[in-house]
Amino acid sequence: MTMEITIMRNILDRNQDKAREVRELLVSKNIMMINLISSPGAGKTTLLERTLETITGRFRAAVIEGDVTTDRDARRLQRFDIPITLINTEGGCHLDSHSISRALDSFNLDELDVIFVENVGNLVCPSHFDLGETFKIAVVSTTEGDDKPAKYPMIFREAKAAILNKIDLIPYTNFSPANFMSDLRSLNSLLPLFEISCTRGDGLEEWRKWLEEQIAGRVRT
Amino acid sequence: MHELRIVEDLMTIVRKVAEEKGLKKVTKVNISMGKLVQIVPSLLEAAFNEAVAGSVAEGASIEIETVAVQLRCRICGKTFTPDANGFECPVCRISDIDVLNGNELFIKSIEGE
Ligand SMILES: Nc1nc2c(ncn2[C@@H]2O[C@H](COP(=O)(O)OP(=O)(O)OP(=O)(O)O)[C@@H](O)[C@H]2O)c(=O)[nH]1
Ligand SMILES: [Mg+2]
Ligand SMILES: [Zn+2]
Repeated sequence: MTMEITIMRNILDRNQDKAREVRELLVSKNIMMINLISSPGAGKTTLLERTLETITGRFRAAVIEGDVTTDRDARRLQRFDIPITLINTEGGCHLDSHSISRALDSFNLDELDVIFVENVGNLVCPSHFDLGETFKIAVVSTTEGDDKPAKYPMIFREAKAAILNKIDLIPYTNFSPANFMSDLRSLNSLLPLFEISCTRGDGLEEWRKWLEEQIAGRVRT
Repeated sequence: MHELRIVEDLMTIVRKVAEEKGLKKVTKVNISMGKLVQIVPSLLEAAFNEAVAGSVAEGASIEIETVAVQLRCRICGKTFTPDANGFECPVCRISDIDVLNGNELFIKSIEGE
């Protein structure tokens, strides 16, 4: 005899439960964890380099590098002499809370203020998987076209701030700042946006200032 | 890509519930998916059809119900569905909203015997 069994459960519960655990652990250690999300090549690692150059003097930072198969990004950050843990997703398109939890085991959490997570380059999948982060940052670059907010609304809804990188390349692309802004604002009018060039340095001061305010303002709850 | 992982987690729940309820065979899995969730239903279905092979749900079908997007303006409290103006509130003309519906991804029920 056929029967129907009602379940009504979030399919990603397993990830969500672990994310909650990670979040509680980080709060108890008074650590801010920032999940950087972008398409491949938008500039997450470069942004981390530019950010760590100034932030390491003021806060105790660590990095979790999500990379599909290589350790190239992790190696680029070695010069900063901070704890770095690499997670190879072996083809997987996003990090999850279980791999983050294991990565946290490799740090001394009593000696950290902030952990940056470089997620796997992808605008879709990572936005479905809560890592237990304090907040997400969406990074897009001008060479990807100005339609990213319209095409990937989820991440621009969920992020605490967005970064538009490679503004130095605008003259060589058909990127329309006006189109980008109007799409972004219609999704999320109040989202802080930093228009930067990691290579030329534009906008980095504002970004670092905002970020430092976030880290300094984190409170033990 | 993440369709695979989602199906893995889905199958974990299906197997567990089937065992708890003493089902010998699962014939259908019913899930609900919000319109904002960026999952391609045909990819999810294909991944599901592979994942069930050799399991208690071998040959089962999957039904994906989509849930329309509903937003609420944080400023004036109006609930509305997004249109060509993105997530902008039709009254305030600004987008500062909570997503009431459209983000869900859950398993509603399984059918079997
Ligand atoms: N012109 C220009 N190039 C940049 C800028 N920022 C980064 N790049 C270049 O863009 C390329 C990709 O940068 P990465 O920082 O490796 O990007 P990513 O997001 O970490 O890439 P994945 O980890 O592979 O997803 C590199 O060659 C950088 O030098 C910028 O502001 N302007
Ligand atoms: Mg990188
Ligand atoms: Zn309103």
